[in-house]
Amino acid sequence: MKIERKEFIVVGAGPAGLSAAIEAARSGVSVTVFDENARPGGQLFKQIHKFFGSKEHMAKIRGFRIGEELLREAEEKGVEVVLNATVIGLYREKEIQVQIGTEVHHYKADAILIATGASENMVNFRGWTLPGVIGAGAAQTMMNLYHVKPGNRILMLGSGNVGLVVSYQLMQAGCEVVALVDAAPRIGGYGVHASKVARCGVPFYLSHTIKEAEGTDCVRGVTIAQIDAKYQFIPGTEKHFDVDTICVAVGLSPMTQLLKMDGVEMADTRGGYIPACDETGATSIPGIFAAGDVAGIEEASSAMIEGRMSGEAVAAYLGYASADEKALREKELEESLGALRQGMFAPKNRGKKLEKTDEGIELSEMLLEKGYIGDDEIKRFPGYRAEIKVHPVLECTQNIPCNPCQTACRKDCISIGDNITSLPISVKDSTCIDCGMCVASCSGQAIFLVSENPEKGTGEVTIPYEFLPLPEVGEKGYGLSRSGQRICDATVRRVRTSKAYDGTALVTIEVPIGYTDRARFYRKADEAQ
Amino acid sequence: MFDIQEKLKEIGPYVPESDDDLLVCRCEEVTKGEIRRAVHEGITTIEEMRRFLRCGMGLCQGQTCGMLTRRLVARELRVPQSEMDVATSRAPMRPVAMETGGRDLGVEKPAAGGDAE
Ligand SMILES: Cc1cc2nc3c(=O)[nH]c(=O)nc-3n(C[C@H](O)[C@H](O)[C@H](O)COP(=O)(O)OP(=O)(O)OC[C@H]3O[C@@H](n4cnc5c(N)ncnc54)[C@H](O)[C@@H]3O)c2cc1C
Ligand code: SF4
Ligand code: SF4
Repeated sequence: MKIERKEFIVVGAGPAGLSAAIEAARSGVSVTVFDENARPGGQLFKQIHKFFGSKEHMAKIRGFRIGEELLREAEEKGVEVVLNATVIGLYREKEIQVQIGTEVHHYKADAILIATGASENMVNFRGWTLPGVIGAGAAQTMMNLYHVKPGNRILMLGSGNVGLVVSYQLMQAGCEVVALVDAAPRIGGYGVHASKVARCGVPFYLSHTIKEAEGTDCVRGVTIAQIDAKYQFIPGTEKHFDVDTICVAVGLSPMTQLLKMDGVEMADTRGGYIPACDETGATSIPGIFAAGDVAGIEEASSAMIEGRMSGEAVAAYLGYASADEKALREKELEESLGALRQGMFAPKNRGKKLEKTDEGIELSEMLLEKGYIGDDEIKRFPGYRAEIKVHPVLECTQNIPCNPCQTACRKDCISIGDNITSLPISVKDSTCIDCGMCVASCSGQAIFLVSENPEKGTGEVTIPYEFLPLPEVGEKGYGLSRSGQRICDATVRRVRTSKAYDGTALVTIEVPIGYTDRARFYRKADEAQ
Repeated sequence: MFDIQEKLKEIGPYVPESDDDLLVCRCEEVTKGEIRRAVHEGITTIEEMRRFLRCGMGLCQGQTCGMLTRRLVARELRVPQSEMDVATSRAPMRPVAMETGGRDLGVEKPAAGGDAE
């Protein structure tokens, strides 16, 4: 057995690991990254949706592009990325075992960062081991990496952002999502993500869970039922759905095995069973760091900043950066991280029942329970404004860390202000030139351009559209409500695509006047609802 | 930690539940009932449970069932989940083929039909 020496080893080439590698390499540290996958990027390579945050957090860019960018930067900085390399052991002397092919390699490093991410949680209802019950992350890998449809008729369990985002992507892949089910009484993820699923007609069943997956050789159906406050099924509330796939998105658990085996101090927290570490990810063992989901489940945007903080701290630990340099950079990154950790969904608000937005506006209960905001409710939010000439309506009613809409509009029609979690405002008396940039850059697909033509008795609504095939100009169909119900006839007047829209098409439908405030999606006449 | 004898008295004997046949650990096919019964036999830590029933000792090394087992044992013992220890992690964290492990120790794979030295 031979031990090779390395300066800084990173385990995991996800957003956290790659960011740390880039940051440390920038200071002159020589870095080796191991990842067990054949492709680097971690979770990012499955994320085909546009991200939240602000520009510095790479908001409105699709996840996989962020991954490509990180990889390019890592290569540029001379980081060695070793793929198909599974780290199977870690010892407190900073010794590490890596399985590559059929060989185990041994390394000793001066500093090690664990950025192994998280694995999906499971629930064990009757029938949960049948083929066809899969994790939502697995469904996402099948669709977005391998271009395989996970199933045809799908029930999603879990209404957090993962459940919502994957439900939408399943529909994009051509699957039918028959229901979105969650045991909690309120939707866990962002309202904007829920709304884009709801307007496609997917019903939400909150305070419900799966009673049984049916079938003998594979999933043939599923029965859900309502539960009471003590999580007991309420008899008589059972509902059956014919499905061939059940997707489970009930949370993630940090993959901390490597940290546990080297004897790092651990803590049982709301974010999971995680290493006790400071803000730079330094654990109880000097020279061993942790960043990203493994140090507490959050987001790719925060994982990237955490990674950079760890990279900086490692550079200082190894003597490549002075304490002053480290402190300065750390402060900058902390502010950026702080901005992401604000708002309704901030770690500090987990599990709390909020009634009002930061602006003091009553939150929509309906949005939290059914996934869409009431036709009248929307009017109390600053993103709504009534006007005849074309203007943006921003159906973004929760304080989330996001502001690409403000940056997108060069005509100052949209304002959020300095605090990125403030609600977007559709600015009064501003002049919208109908460029569509706001609609395309909204990560939550929550912006609509609305105008009315009283003489003709019609109005137009422009909606973000990310399904193929695209509707054709002149085509007739229906306007769907926020809950996905057919409410009026609609004619497609314009379909805009552009490189600047980055894959989001803008479909403008003409609807009878009076429906411009209610029609939020379009479906072709002969398509099944 | 609690006194096992006192705890066993407190929780009383094992009472069957209708879904005791539900699988918890799918790799090693361990059911909810088996785990619950083991608690009443005095198996109160995840570590012991793994050796006793092999739950969490299969291919996924407890990645899937670890949390489920922890919750179940805590419920049966009537203690908060946070008071339950979690399973110890040991290398290798992912399954490693015997061939690979052997080679790491300097043992080469015997030629087909031949004997290992
Ligand atoms: C469906 C879904 C949607 C999401 N949407 C968003 C979003 O819109 N915005 C956002 O900011 N975040 C989003 N996230 C969250 C985001 O993807 C994660 O928070 C982020 O990827 C965590 O980064 P990480 O680097 O910590 O871990 P990961 O991205 O999970 O990377 C960990 C890497 O470590 C490797 N690894 C693990 N163990 C080993 C080992 N033993 N040896 C070698 N390699 C190993 C893995 O192969 C993997 O590549 C989403 C997540 C999901 C599942
Ligand atoms: S369409 Fe263009 S001008 Fe109008 S609000 Fe959106 S970004 Fe601004
Ligand atoms: S409206 Fe603005 S703040 Fe809200 S999701 Fe869209 S881009 Fe983000």
